[in-house]
Amino acid sequence: MNRKRLVLLLMMLIAATFTTGCWDKTELNEMAIVSAVGLDRNKEGKLVGTFQIINPGNVAGALQGGGGSNPPISIYRATGDNVLELDGNASMKISRDMYFAHANLVVIGEELAKEEGLNDIFDAFERSPEFRATTRIVIARGVKARDIVETLTAIDKVSAEKVIRTIETTEKTQGKSISINLQEVIKNLLSTGKEPIISGFTVRGNTGKEDKMENTMSSDIEANPNAAGIGVFKDGKLIDWLDGDKAIGSMWVLDRIENVHLYLDWEGKKNAVTYSVIRQKTNIGAKIVNGKPKISIKVRAEGDIREANVPLNLTDMHVLIDIERKLAKELKKEMEDAIVRAQKNKSDIFGFGELMHESHPKEWKKLEKNWDDDTFPKLEVDVQVETFIRRTGLRNKPFLSNLQKKDQ
Amino acid sequence: MASFFKQKRQVKQREKKKEDESQSKSKTPDYIESSLSANLEIVKKKTGKSPDIIIRTLKIGLNPEIKTTILYVQGLIDNPSVTDFIIESIMKNPHLSKNILPLEAMEIISEDVVSLGGVERVTDWEKLFLTLLSGDTIIFIDEVNVALVASTRGGEKRSIQEPSTHLTVRGSREGFTESNGTNIAMLRRIINTPDLWIESMKIGTVTKTDVSIMYINGIVKEGIVEEVKKRLNRINIDSILESGYIEQLIEDQVMTPFPTLNHTERPDMVAGNLLEGRVAIFVNGTPFVLIAPALFVQFFQSVEDYYNRFDIASATRFLRIIVFIISIVGPAVYVAATTFHQEMIPTKLLVIVAAQRETVPLPAVVEALLMEMTFEILREASLRMPKAVGSTMSIVGALVIGQAAVQAGIVSPAMVIIVSITAIASFATPSYAIAISARIVRFGFIICAGMLGFYGMILAFIILIVHLCSLRSLGVPYMTPLAPLNPKGLGDTFFRRPIWAFKERPQYLTNENNLIREGNNQRPLPPESRGMKTSDGKKGEGNES
Repeated sequence: MNRKRLVLLLMMLIAATFTTGCWDKTELNEMAIVSAVGLDRNKEGKLVGTFQIINPGNVAGALQGGGGSNPPISIYRATGDNVLELDGNASMKISRDMYFAHANLVVIGEELAKEEGLNDIFDAFERSPEFRATTRIVIARGVKARDIVETLTAIDKVSAEKVIRTIETTEKTQGKSISINLQEVIKNLLSTGKEPIISGFTVRGNTGKEDKMENTMSSDIEANPNAAGIGVFKDGKLIDWLDGDKAIGSMWVLDRIENVHLYLDWEGKKNAVTYSVIRQKTNIGAKIVNGKPKISIKVRAEGDIREANVPLNLTDMHVLIDIERKLAKELKKEMEDAIVRAQKNKSDIFGFGELMHESHPKEWKKLEKNWDDDTFPKLEVDVQVETFIRRTGLRNKPFLSNLQKKDQ
Repeated sequence: MASFFKQKRQVKQREKKKEDESQSKSKTPDYIESSLSANLEIVKKKTGKSPDIIIRTLKIGLNPEIKTTILYVQGLIDNPSVTDFIIESIMKNPHLSKNILPLEAMEIISEDVVSLGGVERVTDWEKLFLTLLSGDTIIFIDEVNVALVASTRGGEKRSIQEPSTHLTVRGSREGFTESNGTNIAMLRRIINTPDLWIESMKIGTVTKTDVSIMYINGIVKEGIVEEVKKRLNRINIDSILESGYIEQLIEDQVMTPFPTLNHTERPDMVAGNLLEGRVAIFVNGTPFVLIAPALFVQFFQSVEDYYNRFDIASATRFLRIIVFIISIVGPAVYVAATTFHQEMIPTKLLVIVAAQRETVPLPAVVEALLMEMTFEILREASLRMPKAVGSTMSIVGALVIGQAAVQAGIVSPAMVIIVSITAIASFATPSYAIAISARIVRFGFIICAGMLGFYGMILAFIILIVHLCSLRSLGVPYMTPLAPLNPKGLGDTFFRRPIWAFKERPQYLTNENNLIREGNNQRPLPPESRGMKTSDGKKGEGNES
C-alpha cells in the first residue's frame, strides 16, 4: 500500500470516529434519576403514574451546604393508558430525560391491584433495557401509590430507599413483609404452581402534609410510611392481606425467615417467654400417596431464649425440653393456620404446585388443570416442627425466681 | 511520492561523498613527523590553539641538548602524576643529563623515567589526538617520529552517590556515576568472575564516546552479544551524549510508547540482569546504563523484590500491576461510567456524583482531559523549574487544582479525586520509563471512553494488548513469559517465587546450557532436634518432623 492511500485511510478513520460523535452519551446533569414509580388508576379508568425524581443537590452529604431546606425528591405526575404513555406525558413537565436504571421501587395502588391486576402493567418494565429486573415491588395498602411515593422521610432522604430498607428489615426480624422483585413477581405470575405475594405499604399518621418539608422537620415524623402485611394474589389480582401470625406462618413455610422471635404463653401469662431464632431450615417434600398429592413440611429451628418473665429454671434440661416442645407446637399451629388461609383463598402462594411439578412431572400434568381451584384447597399438608434451644442468654434462671423466693 | 524521496536520498548520498573528499584533502598528514616544531605546529593548527592544551618544553641531554615537549589537556589529567612522574622525573633523571641520542632518550624515558602504569608509542595523529583528548599525556622528542603516550587520565569526577531513581529501602546505596571506568569497576566488585566480559568501542564521529558492552560469558544467550554489537556498529552519528541516544538507535521498534530497553542507575540491578543473561551497555558521561533485552514484566520489578521475603515481594509486585492499570484507565473508567453506564454506579454514589456535576458546565470527557492536562503541566513545570521557585509552584498548583477550580464550579470534586489517584498511581510504578508510557496511553483511553464508553475502552485495550504482543526487544518477544507463555518464567512476574525455589534462570534469556543457578534442596529447614530437655534433665527427642 502506498503512502497516499495510507494517509487517506487514516484520515477517513479519524473522520469516522469524530463525526459519529459520542454515541449514546448522556451527561449526569442532563438526566433525571427516577428513584421510584407509583401506579394508580383514576376515576376515568386511566393509569396515573407518579415519578419520584432524586434532586441530587438536595440530598444531604452530597455537597457542603446542600440538603436541608429543600426537598431531596421531586414528584411528577402523568396520566395515560399505558406505562410508556405515562413516561411520554411526564416528559412534558420535566426538563430532563427520565432515567430508570436506578428506579429501585415500583408502588402499585391497591385499587389497581385488586381490579385490574398486575398482568397488564409489567410488560413495559420487563421490556425496557433501562429498568432493572431487581426492582422491588410493593402494594400501597389503603392509600394511593402516589401517597407513598411523594412522602418525605427523614433518615433515608429518598423515600424509595426507606421503603426498600423497611421491607428488608421487617422481613428479616419479623417475617411480616416480603422483599420481592419484578423478576420474581413475573415468574410467579407465569407459573401455574405458584402465586405471587407482595408486601403492602401504607402511610400512617397525620397525612395531608406528607409531601411538605415540614413532615421531616419534627423528630416525631407526622406521616410515616410503614410496612403493612403481605398481599396475596390470585390470577394476577390482589385478593387478600396476610397480617401478623398468618404472614409469619407463610414466611416460615416459604423458608424466608432469618431471625424472628417466637413468643410462648407460660402458665397463663401471655407471651412470657421469647425465643429468638438464629438459624432455621424448612424442607418441603411432595409425595403422591394413593394417587393423591401430599405435602410434608419439616422445619428445624435453632435459637436462644432471650426473655423469660416467669420464674423458670432454665438450667433444668427438662424445662428446656418442655419449652422446645411447646415452641414446636406453637410454630406448627402458626404454619398450619397460614396454610389453611391460603387454601381458603385458593391461592398457592407457597409453590406446592411447583414442587409437585418438579418431583412428579408426569402426575403434575393431570393435576395442573384443577390445582388452584380443586386440588390445592383440599391438599393434605403434614407439618413437622423441631425446635432446639442453643443458649439461654447471659443468665440461667430469671431474676424473678429469686424474687419469689424472698417472698416466701 | 516514494520515487521523490528516493531521488532526494540519492542527492544526499552524492553530497556526502563530496564532503568526504573535501575533508581528506585538507587533512593533516597521517603520521608524526620527526621535527618537533613541525609536530607542534600540527597540534596547534588542529586544536585551534585552544588554551587548555598545555605545551611544556623541556631540554634533556648534554651537548647537543634535545628538545622534548610534554603535551596534555588541562583538567583531564591527573595533576600529581604529570608533575611528579613525568616532568619531575625527566628533569631529575641522571641518565638524561648525559650525552645521548634522541632515540636513546626515547628508550630511557619510556623504560626508566616515566613511572606510570601505561606508556605507549604512537605514530599516527588520529590515535594521538584521541589519547590526548581522553586525558593522556604525550611526550614528543625532537628528531624522533614516534610520540610516547603516558596514561595520566584523571581530573574531576563526581563521587559515587546514592542513585536518585529506583530508590530502595533495603539494598546497596551505590549509584553509577558519569565515568565509564568507575561504573565498570563497580560491577567488577559485585561479580567476581573472569567470565564477566567487557567490550569497548567509540561511537560518535565527533564526540567519540566510550561505549562498553558487558555480559557474563557462558550465561548470555548465544547471538545476543553479536546482535548488540551489530546494532552498535551500525550507528553512524556525530554525537552520543547520553545512553538515550544509543537506546533510540538500537531499538527493535520505533513507533511505540513503551520502552523496549531498560535503563538503571543501580549497579545491583545491572548485576542481577547480567546474571539472567542480559547485556549491559555502559555509555560514558551518563549514570544510566542500558539493559537489553527488556521485557514488559521487568518494568514492574524492583531490586528490592529480591531482597525482601517472597510473600511481601509478591504482594507489592501485585500492587504495582494494579497501580499501573489504574494509572492507565483511572480517568477513562470515570468518564465511561458517568456518561454512558450510569446504571453501573450504585444509586447512592450516583446521587453524590450527580450532585457534584450539577453545576459543572463541561462534559465529563472535557473535564477529565482538562484536569489531566493541568496536572501534566504542573508536573512538567515542577520538573524543569529552578528549585527556589518550587514551593511557590506547588502552592499555586494545589490551590488551582484542588480548591479554586472546584469552588468555581468548573470541575467536580470527584474528578479531582480521580486525577489525584491516577497521579499517585503513575508515580508508584518503579520504572519511570513505563510510567511515562502510561501517561501517554491514558489520554488515548480517555478519548475512547468519552466517545464509546466501556465499549471504546475495551477496543482500546484490545489494541494495546495486540500492540504489546507485537513488540520485541533484541528479538525476544516483549510480553514473555506471558505471551508466548513460559510456565517456568511465570514465577517472576506477578508474584515472585521464593529464592530457594528459583532453580533455573529464565530460559528465554539465558544460554540453554547454563540454566541451573542453585543446588537442590535449598529450602531452609529447622534443626533436626530442638534441643529440648525433658523434665528429668535428659535431652529429649524434640524431632520436628
